[in-house]
Amino acid sequence: MSKSKITRRQLVVGAAPLAAAGPLYGLAAPLLASDREASHMGHELPAAGHAAMIGDQVPAPGGPRDLDSLLVPPPALPHEPGRVREYTLVASDRRIEVAKGVYFEAWTYNGTVPGPIIRATEDDLLRVDFLNAGSHPHTIHFHGIHPAGMDGVFEIVNPGERFTYEFPARPYGFHPYHCHATPLKKHIHKGLYGTFIVDPPKPRPPAQELVMVMNGYDTDGDGENNFYTVNGLTFYYAKYPIRVSRSQTVRIYLANLTEFDLVNSLHLHGDFFRVYRTGSTEQFEYTDTVMLCQGERCILEIDFANTGTFMFHAHQSEFAELGWMGFFDVSD
Amino acid sequence: MTSGEVAPRRRLPLRRAWALVPLILLLAVVAAFAAAGGPVLDLLGRNPPPADQFDIRRVTLEPGVVRIRVTNPQPDELTIASVTVDDAIVPFTLDGPATLERLRSATIVVQYEWVGGDPLSVGVTSSTGIETTKDIGAAVETPGASARGFFGYAVIGFLVGVVPVALGLLWLPSLRRTPPQWLAAFMALTGGLLAFLAIEALGEALERQAALPGPLAGPGFVLLAVAASYLGLAFLAQRLGSRGGAAAPALSGLALAALVAVGIGLHNLGEGLAIGSSFALGELTLGTFLVVGFMVHNVTEGLAIAAPAAEERRIRPTWLAALALVAGAPAILGAWIGGFVTSDLLAVVFFGVAAGAAFEVIVEVGRYVRRRAPGGLTSGHVIGGFLAGLVIMYATGLLVG
Repeated sequence: MSKSKITRRQLVVGAAPLAAAGPLYGLAAPLLASDREASHMGHELPAAGHAAMIGDQVPAPGGPRDLDSLLVPPPALPHEPGRVREYTLVASDRRIEVAKGVYFEAWTYNGTVPGPIIRATEDDLLRVDFLNAGSHPHTIHFHGIHPAGMDGVFEIVNPGERFTYEFPARPYGFHPYHCHATPLKKHIHKGLYGTFIVDPPKPRPPAQELVMVMNGYDTDGDGENNFYTVNGLTFYYAKYPIRVSRSQTVRIYLANLTEFDLVNSLHLHGDFFRVYRTGSTEQFEYTDTVMLCQGERCILEIDFANTGTFMFHAHQSEFAELGWMGFFDVSD
Repeated sequence: MTSGEVAPRRRLPLRRAWALVPLILLLAVVAAFAAAGGPVLDLLGRNPPPADQFDIRRVTLEPGVVRIRVTNPQPDELTIASVTVDDAIVPFTLDGPATLERLRSATIVVQYEWVGGDPLSVGVTSSTGIETTKDIGAAVETPGASARGFFGYAVIGFLVGVVPVALGLLWLPSLRRTPPQWLAAFMALTGGLLAFLAIEALGEALERQAALPGPLAGPGFVLLAVAASYLGLAFLAQRLGSRGGAAAPALSGLALAALVAVGIGLHNLGEGLAIGSSFALGELTLGTFLVVGFMVHNVTEGLAIAAPAAEERRIRPTWLAALALVAGAPAILGAWIGGFVTSDLLAVVFFGVAAGAAFEVIVEVGRYVRRRAPGGLTSGHVIGGFLAGLVIMYATGLLVG
């Protein structure tokens, strides 16, 4: 970064004989002070503030329905122990637009960051066929309870190779999966992560279900995120607010897979929600802000009291202003 | 032998044409490489990705508005994709296309309620995700290009440039009564002051050059500025010197004073630029104390001009006024340039030119002292005077640490 500066030599202190210069300087100072009469050509300026951050003006990439498959999970199936649930995940290198006009050389599962939503009911047999079509060795490490050989740590899958992960889905809740090849930090921040829902044996009450994965992108490789998002695209839900109905509970499966930063959070405006930590218990906390460490996740249930437009965002203001912000459009 | 005379004359045009052969061959090789050089480079493996950094030239602040002037210093075109102010993505407009070709510039306009007096940082991210940032020490409204601002910078430049030099010249009558060995000491003192200024200016030029994006300027660029100004002044000195007689290589009296004034003027141009741009960028608080400091400091520059001029029996007051203007007025010009068109590249040129000019004037002063001073260059008065010049500069610098 270039920076103009005055050198030591130029900062020489004054002395008495020239103190008369003071009044002269007094003449110059106001002349250099702010000149507010200068024309600002206001018409050419873009809007500012939150008003500028909703709808078409928002600098968000993507079209109106681009994130549907990452937002709306597949439906839950009834409890049926031993049923096989098959998924195929393909790791590939892909250049994706993460912020308006900004492209990131990502490593993806099935072409998106985050990867696809996997869903099973507790005691289903999850069978995930993994093909590594990328240029580096990868794995899938699932959180949850499974045999050691299915952990995706030692079973390195080289480019062009396959591996089938097979284990009973448990415990019920909401869990992340991610690559565990080294260097770990690199493989995760490049985009190899996603989430899977394990439904409880006793089905959850019906709700409008949404999945939100909080993440960040370090596009210039300095170890700090340049952008923060939910479901992979900056300001996406500010440009395309999520439509929900007041008459039905909104259930959000929320996970934090942000690399480089310790914690991320979600804050809802205008209402409260129930937080079920990891989604694995019946206990909940009633709040409007939830904080998650990297790898933590929870299930939120909102019963909107009012209709209208309500903001949600990371309560780390910095994250919100770097892309992790959106709106609910609540109607009757 | 007539044939022997004719033959070389005939071959002469051919020999001249031979000088074009390397150029033609070079063109052919370049064309061939451009057409089919890819496979050759592939032998070395893949090229690393481009740096994709912008050069943020200037950040201008108006109430509620931030303007960012960016240039693409990269060999390939670069696209402005995202803009942040204080780590927040902001909507922006551009005065042209978002994709900049090499060395093309654009101005980004952002509506932003910046907080006066607080640090501010702006970031411009390319479509490839590389962010270039620039920090502003304290946000202050950039003085507009108005008559008021123009006059304000002129007053500042006048105060720190012309006034102290003129005051320093008033030592002239006292210097005339000084014995020759002490006059030599004052001349050597002038050399010391100039040597200090030259090194400072060179350091400043190199420091600013190092902060520039690589493609714009390397250290050789500083050398170009230094050499151009040194040789330009040497040429001028030679012309001034030979007017008095062909065998008078060492300048003296008014001519030497004029040369010292030119050298100091070029230095003050850089100093004015530094003051103007630092003020415009919110990096400098122009308090009464600081302005007074500049004035006291620059009085020594008047002394430096007065010392050689003391040799003349009588100098018309208009000449003295001209000397003061030549040495001091460039500070006004520098303040205008720094205040209104801040350019780091221009600053490098100015400081390089200032260093080259100071070096040349030191040489002229040295030649003068060697010829005229009792005891030459190695007399106690001369050595003491030169070191005293350095010490004065160093000590005044120490005071502000």
